[in-house]
Amino acid sequence: MYYYILDQNTLPVDKFEMMQTELSGLLAEFKIAGESARVTPLRTVADLVDTASQRGVKTLVACGSDDTFNLMLAALRGRDFTLGFIPFNEDSFLAKILGIESLFVGAKTIAARRIEKIDLAKIAGNFFINYLEFGVLSQNIKNAGWFSSMRMLSTEPKNLNVRIDDSYNVNINSLGGLVVNIRSTSSNVASIANPTDGNLDLLILERLNKAQILRYRKDIAEGRLENVPKSTIIKCKKIEFLEPRGTNLTMLGRSVAKFPATVEIIPHRLRMIVGKNRTF
Amino acid sequence: MEKLLEENLNGQAETVVGPSVKIQGDLNSEGNIKIEGQVAGKVKTSQSVFVTQGAKIAADVLAGGAVIGGEVQGNLKISGHLILQSTAKVVGDITCSVLRVEDGAQFSGKCVMNGAITAANGKKSAVVEAEELEDE
Repeated sequence: MYYYILDQNTLPVDKFEMMQTELSGLLAEFKIAGESARVTPLRTVADLVDTASQRGVKTLVACGSDDTFNLMLAALRGRDFTLGFIPFNEDSFLAKILGIESLFVGAKTIAARRIEKIDLAKIAGNFFINYLEFGVLSQNIKNAGWFSSMRMLSTEPKNLNVRIDDSYNVNINSLGGLVVNIRSTSSNVASIANPTDGNLDLLILERLNKAQILRYRKDIAEGRLENVPKSTIIKCKKIEFLEPRGTNLTMLGRSVAKFPATVEIIPHRLRMIVGKNRTF
Repeated sequence: MEKLLEENLNGQAETVVGPSVKIQGDLNSEGNIKIEGQVAGKVKTSQSVFVTQGAKIAADVLAGGAVIGGEVQGNLKISGHLILQSTAKVVGDITCSVLRVEDGAQFSGKCVMNGAITAANGKKSAVVEAEELEDE
């Protein structure tokens, strides 16, 4: 049985209702109609996940924004579901990652039920499937203008100290970096950002000269640090961020933890319904 | 051939240690490793290790293949090909199947050749594959 969690989030009411009507039609058309529940201030995503669990639901589908999916993921608390996602907004990172470009493709993907077992990452009691950013990468370089991004990438690097897999310590003067399980941009190196390899990828950016900043600004903004000279890439299962203390780790611009913090991967933990055009 | 090997490792290195990185502890990987910084601890992989000019390793290196252009103070146990580039400085014993030493490379220690040209996991190392590609 399918359980759809509908979340208006930041959508205007009229647009949300239009999406809801369109979705109902598509679910009936693809014969995947189940129970739908709308998120309200009194009925949170976590409450709806609890309700689904009590009713013995096997497939949970988050319909809304990336936040809706992340909240659903956080509410699972080890319970076993197959998960799906239908985007209500066009700029969803998760939709790009999963290869679900629209509401129609989302419903079609759920109906096709192509399931991949993917790795789940954990930080400070929260779970995520995409990536975390720190340092200048957590600032919005992508939407910053030329001058702003030059200024951000010309800041003084800080001494980053991390412990990897309880085996070795890494010290580096760094501008920032990423902890990637999946990301919305694919890589030339197939092993990077692969959510089925049981590993996290730690990508760290070093200080660049002006010519390099100009040349690699797009790669940096899109998180493709493996294309940027002097970058460090480490594949691992556990990362302990030790210093500089107080540095924010952000997910899609929202702070999820501060250093010191530990990120771990749980291999093949999630059963996820994915689209044909997924990035992994 | 070194250029081909370098390209091979650059394109496929799973772990890249940048030039300003200092690692303390044992670095284990299942893929190719490229080291441009400093490592004070054992480096171990069944694939290939590429130590660039300016990089320093102060411990043993165990790998399927290796191209050394930097400084290694420790033993090199390589099951396949080992190339010491002209900028290499190795202080320690070498065990490998095939050894190439370029003019200018510095090596101080014993060398044992074991003859087998396959990597530790039974697969061909990146170095061997690169050579075969070049031959073709």
